Amino acid sequence: MLARLGLLLYVLLCVVPLALGLGYVAAYSFGLIGLLNHGFTTVHWQAVLQDKAFWQSLGFSLYCAFSSMSIVLISASALLMALRKQLSRGYLSYFIYFPLVLPTLVAAFICFQLWSKSGFISRLLFQIGFLSNLEAFPEFVNDACGIGIIFTHAFMATPFFTLLFLQLYKSEKIQALQDLALTLGATPGQTWQKVALPILWQKSIFSIFLYFVFIMGAYETPLLLGRQSPQMIAPLIIRKLQKFNLQDIPQAYAITTAYLLLLMGVAMAVLRNLKMRAV
Amino acid sequence: MQKLIILGILFLVWGCQSATKPNTGNVLQQPWSEIEKKARGTTVNLMMWTGDPLINAYMQNYVVPNVKKRLGIDLKIASGQGNLIVQALLAELQAGKTESELDLLWINGETFYQLREIDALFGPWTDNLPNAQYIDFSNPFIGIDFQQPVDGFECPWGNVQMALIYNSAQIPNPPQDRQALAAFLKEHPGKFTFDNQFTGMTFLKSLLIDIAGGAKELEGGFDEKKYLTYSKELWAYLKNIQPYLWRAGKTFPENVAVIHQLYASGELWFTMSNNDNEVDNKVTQGLFPASSRAYVWKSGLIQNTHYQGIPQLSKNKAGAMAVVNFLISPEAQLKKQDPAVWGDGLVLDVKKLPQTWQTQWQKLPPRKYVAPRSELNTRALPELAPQYMIRLAEDFRKNIIEK
Repeated sequence: MLARLGLLLYVLLCVVPLALGLGYVAAYSFGLIGLLNHGFTTVHWQAVLQDKAFWQSLGFSLYCAFSSMSIVLISASALLMALRKQLSRGYLSYFIYFPLVLPTLVAAFICFQLWSKSGFISRLLFQIGFLSNLEAFPEFVNDACGIGIIFTHAFMATPFFTLLFLQLYKSEKIQALQDLALTLGATPGQTWQKVALPILWQKSIFSIFLYFVFIMGAYETPLLLGRQSPQMIAPLIIRKLQKFNLQDIPQAYAITTAYLLLLMGVAMAVLRNLKMRAV
Repeated sequence: MQKLIILGILFLVWGCQSATKPNTGNVLQQPWSEIEKKARGTTVNLMMWTGDPLINAYMQNYVVPNVKKRLGIDLKIASGQGNLIVQALLAELQAGKTESELDLLWINGETFYQLREIDALFGPWTDNLPNAQYIDFSNPFIGIDFQQPVDGFECPWGNVQMALIYNSAQIPNPPQDRQALAAFLKEHPGKFTFDNQFTGMTFLKSLLIDIAGGAKELEGGFDEKKYLTYSKELWAYLKNIQPYLWRAGKTFPENVAVIHQLYASGELWFTMSNNDNEVDNKVTQGLFPASSRAYVWKSGLIQNTHYQGIPQLSKNKAGAMAVVNFLISPEAQLKKQDPAVWGDGLVLDVKKLPQTWQTQWQKLPPRKYVAPRSELNTRALPELAPQYMIRLAEDFRKNIIEK
């Protein structure tokens, strides 16, 4: 009974809204609904698929998500290897939570205040005579490589994955496995490289994928710290949806549909792969 | 499973029906005393931009209590502007709603154009307001919005002149036209930029008018041929100055508030505003240095008016009209014009006001950091047809940002 109720709630609260939302945006993108549409057309899809900005945006979103997650995984693994005991007790066990409580927009704003040309770091370096003028400070925000965006996401996600790895390390009894490997002649480095890290990464693969998707769809951070071109996918959709030209709205929905279908396809492939490995 | 899919499709189609019937009522046929009576004891939901603390204070501490006390109306303010308003009303119309959540909207030209495009505005209603007699609708900067006659579908609320703001301690003689700006930027690279939103696009429109040889050339509806001719020169000009803009013109601030911040921190030597009074307002607040000055350069900058509109589906049109009548009253306009309060330009023709009110206006202290409006009016350019803004925004992206 409880299982049926749970399933019903899941369908009503998650599946139905998602299906209706997807149906709505898809129908809008094909001109089937919408006040300014005049019936079925593929013209909006053609415009999107031929638009360089869409492909650049997709590529840039992938790049930012991949770069951020790479930094996060390396940093979280290194923190676990070096500070495992301090992370379990002492000041660091409290301090590590700090970035987790920050709203994304606040984290992005902190990054802007720290790393912009007239920001804190730049002013500090100018005051101590390291910079001749503020303009000489390198571009870390609103830059072509998305450094500010990547830094902010890494800053926010590293503590999360450090704590996740720490919990997995304990629950999977990895210490015992490492000890066993040592008795079998492995070096301490090899116990991390061949035993601990592969287990940690394997066990958290779905969380890694979800966070990857979360970064790809980020809005506030690239809006504040990114450039107008290339733009990440969410600011691109909002631009098409809310800028001066109402005729661009169906294009915004076409991009949304394409992006959702792509993500759902990738998610299914990842899930299938995980299940096959489990078997 | 098939049944479920069919049910889902039916649900979707049903949910997307547009069966809107405008809630016009008979408010336009009623005498004003009847409208005020009908408005008493009601709530009016106003959607407006709430990004400026002084404007918010004027609304919350002056307008809200006064409409409650004098008209018995509860004025509720929701945050939202331009595109958000259009999206909200568009969604209501698409959903087939018969009553809107909103009763009153702070809008300007491009939003007016978009809302008229989707037939989301109620009207004509402004002639019914007693205080509308003081508005000079024959003034083209007031009676015409982005080359479209307002035709009673929106009521003028404030009139502003675009101005460039600079630090006079750093720049004794600011550039007076686009050629002088180009020369200045080559000497002082990285100290000037414009935003990617409304203010920046208004600046580009001013440049386009200048390139076209004056506003007369671009008067009336959108002219594709003229646009292509003059915009080509505009893009060439911008490409020429691009390396000398802030961040070498590779990126542009997302809105004018960011430019204000960069100006306040000294990273930029110029900022700009759609309101000529904003410099007095920001210096008074201590946000800009006291050496800041605003000016309209010789080739002119755009002057425009912002308005109040009533959604077609508003459930309280009488209340909305009563609130607007208060907003355009001499008292509310005088209060709003004070830079310490808001510094918004008035839409009333002072000569039309009763003598007692005319005296009040004469008593207003002069502006400190910008020339009098009468002086700036000689350099005022009219807004262009909305399609110019749409095309400039798109082509600016293609020709400058993405190149």
